[in-house]
Amino acid sequence: MSSYDDAKERPEHITNILNGLDRYNPETTTIFQDYVAYQCEYDTYDCYANLALLKLYQFNPHLARDETITNILVKALTVFPSSDFSLCCHLLPPNLLTPTPNTQASDLAEAVQKLTGLNSLLESCQFKEFWNTLDSDDLYADLIADVSGFEDTIRTRIAGVTNSSMREVTRELLEGFLNLTDDKFDTFVKETAGWSIEGDVITIPINKDNEAKPTITRESVKFDQFSRQIRRAYEQPA
Amino acid sequence: MLAGQTPYQNGTQDDDFDDDEGILAASIVEAIQNNDDDPSQTLQNIQSREDDLQSRLQAAATPLEYQASLEARYASYDNYCSLFHYILNSNGPVELDLPTYYWAWDVIDEFIYQFNNFCAYRNRLAKKGQNQEELASLRENQQIWGCYSVLNILYSLIQRSQMNEQLAAIKRGEDPNTVAGEYGSRPLYRMLGYFSIIGLLRVHCLLGDFTLALKTLDDIELNKKAVFARVMGAHFTTYYYVGFCYLMMGRYSDAIKAFSHILLYVTRTKNFHNKSTQFDSISKTMDQMYALLAMCVALCPTRLDDTIHSSLREKYADQLQKLQRGGPDSLPVFEELFQASAPKFISPIPPDFENPTNNVDPMQHHLQVFMLDVKNNMMAPVLRSYLKLYTSMDLQKLAAFLEIKPDELRTKLLVFKQKSRQCKWVEGGLLSGDIVNVSDLDFALQQDLIHISEAKVGRKLVDWYLRNLTRSYA
Repeated sequence: MSSYDDAKERPEHITNILNGLDRYNPETTTIFQDYVAYQCEYDTYDCYANLALLKLYQFNPHLARDETITNILVKALTVFPSSDFSLCCHLLPPNLLTPTPNTQASDLAEAVQKLTGLNSLLESCQFKEFWNTLDSDDLYADLIADVSGFEDTIRTRIAGVTNSSMREVTRELLEGFLNLTDDKFDTFVKETAGWSIEGDVITIPINKDNEAKPTITRESVKFDQFSRQIRRAYEQPA
Repeated sequence: MLAGQTPYQNGTQDDDFDDDEGILAASIVEAIQNNDDDPSQTLQNIQSREDDLQSRLQAAATPLEYQASLEARYASYDNYCSLFHYILNSNGPVELDLPTYYWAWDVIDEFIYQFNNFCAYRNRLAKKGQNQEELASLRENQQIWGCYSVLNILYSLIQRSQMNEQLAAIKRGEDPNTVAGEYGSRPLYRMLGYFSIIGLLRVHCLLGDFTLALKTLDDIELNKKAVFARVMGAHFTTYYYVGFCYLMMGRYSDAIKAFSHILLYVTRTKNFHNKSTQFDSISKTMDQMYALLAMCVALCPTRLDDTIHSSLREKYADQLQKLQRGGPDSLPVFEELFQASAPKFISPIPPDFENPTNNVDPMQHHLQVFMLDVKNNMMAPVLRSYLKLYTSMDLQKLAAFLEIKPDELRTKLLVFKQKSRQCKWVEGGLLSGDIVNVSDLDFALQQDLIHISEAKVGRKLVDWYLRNLTRSYA
């Protein structure tokens, strides 16, 4: 069992801040920012801490750093289909998602909307379109530049979705999903995912999510439920 | 109507949240009168005990006029601050026995209600940009009813009473008094501290921080034995906010559980409450929870308790039908129900007074984020209705039935699969849980062949058998 507020490898000083009132202290902003940078560089992830930083930005808009905000969102993409991206969005300034007539669309607003678009593609499992969109604009490349291993992580996630829904899939479809071809595709499918390739078909071993086995839950009857009837049988012989 | 703001006010106060005249204060004294058998006696007790405190209580308790002016709202804030300051920062603990459990809850409840109401008032004013005099005053007094100070008060009340430590001790089966300290062992501090935790749950949720809101309840066990369950308003509010937070986290099955639990509880104990003055507002919040429940059930089809299900159909027959049919037609219904039933969100910072049009209603913001999730999932009911009919099916054929492209159907199926795997609470903190399959329908794709399976619940005969057995004996 896992808890949302846990994170593997969370440094102790972050834990202390998160558990105390220092999480409201604007001076901790830089510590959290460094932690986001660390997550990007070393491919770790701690949404609960990132939400705390977004909250600090909420309370102190002048401290907010665009780059950190987009990095947090990009990191949240890498854990789809969890709701982390939405949870982050809830803590963003409202006028980023709903552009107001008065404000010129800022760079940040544009970036956030682009990332929201990517998130929608991932959430709606339009993986091929996701990769196409990612390649379509240099802005995307800039946005994900800080997050090391972004594409690989996404690929692993997509493989996870495939693993839970499919038993057999054509090579063409899966190539589109993973945005890989030829040798790279073969290596990923065989070694990373552990699936087998036969001609044009990839076979995914049966697991608990793709077996789709019908079940019937039967009523479990406890002796206690009959206690009244049994007592009654002794009290009033029929 | 406001969402779960004041399940404890009597009629007049909760009618007009959306109007500028929205009345602000309910009084501590009035609350005592509402809830106590013998209010005059309680009041006298307080009076004789501590005149100074009494005057402060009075000050905090004086209800604002119906057309509360900005000054009155400021003054009410000052009163709360001075009361809490007195309670928290006197030399040693303040001597006062709580009249009832209700008292502490009402203070916290009203405090947050006024905070919420003030923020809404300020946002409206800033957006309209008309009343220059009040705007100027608001601009100069941005710290009044500020988020930091409200949070500060709630956190201080919790810390003073060592409430988290006490609750943790109770959880370990130890005597809370060993960690309670000088303050926490007194009922005044203990109760204020305890209900401040519930207050924090609410404030965090109003600010859109749903994870932190649930995290706040880490040390409180959600069950009928919990202290909050002794105060109807607190019991009710807690479940409303917990359910709502789960809904926003996409943990629909947990949200359904929270809403069903409290709705069933209130339905069963209705006869004890319906005479009280608060019942009006309780039933309004109940309606909101039914609406939230309708959305949850549409997003995550679940078999509800029969009583709940029939009340739900009674109240929201049309909407439920549209939601469960899915597709684009369901989207306006989701929006409508969300706006009517979500809490009145607060913007964490004062509005931009210089550019009135720059202020986005926090409700719109949260609605938009929520709708992104909903849009993605709106085909689920349609898919479900077809999948239920077959044990295996060709993808192309089903796509033809649905009049969409096969590739599109495939993505919808993948979404369906993702959404049926949800984090579900088992034990421990509210944020914890396991990923489980919450749907009774499951499928797997073998290239273009869809294998469909259903988890059926066998007929439940024992209850029926026992009921009839009892009847035939009687």
